[in-house]
Amino acid sequence: MAIVREKGYTHWNGQLVERRFPWAPIARTGVRLAFRKKGFKFVFAMAFMPSFVFLVTLYISERLEDFKGFVQGNTALLNVDPNYFKLFLTSGFVLFSLLLVLVFAAAGLIAEDLKHNSLQLYFARPIGKKDYILGKMSVVAFFILILVALPWLLLVVFKLIFAGNFKFFLQYPWLPLSILGYSLLLTVFLGCYVLLLSAVSRNTRYVIVLIFGVYYFSSVLAEILKKAFGSPYMALFSIPADLQQAGAALFGQKLPLAIPAFWSFLILAGICVLAAAVLNRKIRSVEVIK
Amino acid sequence: MTAVISASHLSKWYGNVLGLNDISLELEEGITGLLGPNGAGKSTFMKLVTGQMKPAIGTVAIRGRRVWNDPEIFQGIGFCPEQDVFYEDMTGSEFLAGLLRFYGFPKKEIDDRAARALDVVDLTADKDRLIRGYSRGMRQRIKFAQAIAHDPGILILDEPLSGLDPLGKRKLIKLIKGFKDEGRTVIVSSHVLPEIEALTSQIVLIHQGQILAQGDIPYIRELIEAHPHQISVRSSDPRALAARFVGDRSIQKMTFAADGQTLVVETHKRDEFFGRLTGIVLEGGIEVDEISSPDDNLQAVFEYLVGK
Repeated sequence: MAIVREKGYTHWNGQLVERRFPWAPIARTGVRLAFRKKGFKFVFAMAFMPSFVFLVTLYISERLEDFKGFVQGNTALLNVDPNYFKLFLTSGFVLFSLLLVLVFAAAGLIAEDLKHNSLQLYFARPIGKKDYILGKMSVVAFFILILVALPWLLLVVFKLIFAGNFKFFLQYPWLPLSILGYSLLLTVFLGCYVLLLSAVSRNTRYVIVLIFGVYYFSSVLAEILKKAFGSPYMALFSIPADLQQAGAALFGQKLPLAIPAFWSFLILAGICVLAAAVLNRKIRSVEVIK
Repeated sequence: MTAVISASHLSKWYGNVLGLNDISLELEEGITGLLGPNGAGKSTFMKLVTGQMKPAIGTVAIRGRRVWNDPEIFQGIGFCPEQDVFYEDMTGSEFLAGLLRFYGFPKKEIDDRAARALDVVDLTADKDRLIRGYSRGMRQRIKFAQAIAHDPGILILDEPLSGLDPLGKRKLIKLIKGFKDEGRTVIVSSHVLPEIEALTSQIVLIHQGQILAQGDIPYIRELIEAHPHQISVRSSDPRALAARFVGDRSIQKMTFAADGQTLVVETHKRDEFFGRLTGIVLEGGIEVDEISSPDDNLQAVFEYLVGK
């Protein structure tokens, strides 16, 4: 039987759910809309490729006898230890695939709101600026945690399952924490980086160009400055190098740059502070003079 | 009694441009029309009331509670902005449900409210279509639906009738008037005078960031002493009628309209004129078919006040 809905409004006497996470609807909407974008599901699936390759590697490393012909004596390449995890997680391909996912899912997070003047729709509701930013940041966090933290923690578990013992865990009990720490670093940094660039333009395509452009141009700039000044500190201008340096420090491995990791953390934190300042300035209702 | 919305010495600048200049007003329950040309400061006022901007000077409060930095106050406020504010890739019902989640309703209540709001604006049949495919009128209606879906006590509507067809306008006007009857407070802005007139006689005239006048339309008209009232009298013999008024000191000017049937009188003393006219009609001899006050509408009031 069809429901006949009453027209007009009556006050509702039900109990409101406690709004502990006022930012959650923003996060939910952001994630939902990302999966509606053309081609996103493919890009998202492809971003799991490194984890899948690693899983195969794990399996082979524990079954060397069965894959003798395949490995052909290159067993050193299959020595799975924290450095191996670090190599994969800080590799250019993993960072590129993360950026690609974020370009689809997060480039328009603020740019689209600015373009459509949606901020006034949010701020005429019981949420504040912090909730808004947290909601948008949660979208980035969702994808990074699901692409980095979750699969790579699972890979540690798979390593134990394939080995059939806890030797690996007992040898490197801190590895899960390193994975979590690195995921957190990526979440905070990439979240701030993407939202910062998303807030500087109303045009999502322009934001996409900026996300890739700034990221890769920083490496080119660092190389030029390194050549010009001959100082290893010039490498700090490169965002990928800073992420790799910070990643290596978090995994307790040899640092790729011949300078203390502290400086890379400082640079990444500086970009986050800049992002916070820009977001604080840009996230407000559109002031249109008609 | 505390006013529903009160502003005290409210000012807002956009860099060097003045948006609002020292506005103080109190708005009670019912419909208040915010009227002014583009750039007058209507939207700025609405954005200050809805807490989207911080006043440069002064305060704005809702039921005595300051608006700025108090998001909880918006639990009971519905805002319909002038511009399109959509996620184009969402359907109408998803859009409403997404926004209703901010208020803490349980899921079933969210679905019910979204369905009800869509029904009120006659979009039930299009609820599963992407907003991208909505017409201008449909977009305007879904925007209105998001403002009323959470059942707010205060509705702030920025140009809600623009883009609607005449039938849609009539429906929305009826709906807004219904909110007034329920004891809610509605602020409607428009630069289209007949729209405001159709909604309310309580208006606030804003021009260049300042309030020019506030009150009901006849009251505001009374304030304009520098301008005489214009009264049209359609009669079978307007010239004979004019002859009876020639010696009347309350009359400033008399003209005949192009139709040859109407005498247009300008007077500072409207009541005196009407008393005299009634006497003439009662004395007999001259038939009066219609009396109207062409400058008692909003357009005339507005034009006088802004000096056009």
